[in-house]
Amino acid sequence: MAQYIFHKADTRGHDYHDWLDSKKTFSFGDYYNPRRMGFGALRVLNDDILPGGKGFGRHPHDNMEIISIPLKGSLKHEDSAGNKAIAAAGALQVMHAGSGLFHSEYNNSQDEVAEFLQIWVYPETLNTPPRYTLGDLPADAGKDRLHTFIAPDKADGIYVRRDVWFSTGRFSYDASFTYPLHLEQNGVYAFVIAGRFSVDGKELEARDGLGVWDAAAVEVKALSDEAHILIMEVPMNIHA
Amino acid sequence: MDQNISLKLLAIGYDPAIMQVVERLLNSHAGWEGIAALTREEGLEKAGSGHYDAILLCVGVSAADEEAIRQAVSHHSSSTKVIRHYGGGSGLLENELRAALDHQ
Repeated sequence: MAQYIFHKADTRGHDYHDWLDSKKTFSFGDYYNPRRMGFGALRVLNDDILPGGKGFGRHPHDNMEIISIPLKGSLKHEDSAGNKAIAAAGALQVMHAGSGLFHSEYNNSQDEVAEFLQIWVYPETLNTPPRYTLGDLPADAGKDRLHTFIAPDKADGIYVRRDVWFSTGRFSYDASFTYPLHLEQNGVYAFVIAGRFSVDGKELEARDGLGVWDAAAVEVKALSDEAHILIMEVPMNIHA
Repeated sequence: MDQNISLKLLAIGYDPAIMQVVERLLNSHAGWEGIAALTREEGLEKAGSGHYDAILLCVGVSAADEEAIRQAVSHHSSSTKVIRHYGGGSGLLENELRAALDHQ
């Protein structure tokens, strides 16, 4: 029988600094809740706002798959592997930290805020070579359809070193879809970016999250127009 | 876990630049005393001889190294928690320690 965990948007951790306004679904930084240590291999889901010109200065990472989804404005990325990129809303940035690198992420604008989702997934294998990929988020490629933008199949160039599938879509009121899980040992974490949805009959508003596991499929229905959802299918085991 | 608790910590990892950050972050906490070991040999030597509340396995430490370190610790100190640190001095560092030490 399907199991569920619901995380209401206003129960997330909230760190506010003059350089960062961050809402954290799972424990991170100063926010610690032992009941919110992730969802399977999904460890971090931060909803970050950077004021103009502000950002994360040069700092290291290793052994994490770090996915950034800009929702508004743009991010300026630089890393010790020599990558420099601008990731604007509609783009997708994946950084395999692997055996280690340093990077910085700044709001590329001095005037406008930048909003982005910062998502971390435990890798399948430790200490692999770092890799950086910039791609497009296909949410606007066709309305009322779910678009998978990260999958283990490496053919399209955007992947995470784990058996995960990330999908997104914008939906009109009453549009619906069934999401069949790819692997029995996986679960789904549904995160509403905008609007309202019903996920397996449970109502979710903007920035609410619902984890589902021990399920073969998940039923999703938009309860508002311009409803935007992120579906993250991840292994329920932290480690491969 | 009491935020001001005194902790003695060993962080083992093989990337000196990253480990410098991890060590600095550990020592930035009031009451926490962290040292880094930058090689497998140094890690095994320190893990098998010193007394630590927790040992963090960081960048570069393989599964085989982890097993060797856990063996060295188990022969020496049953109360030491050995945990994986992911992210390289990231926002997970304090969380991982608190989760491990809260469940003692």
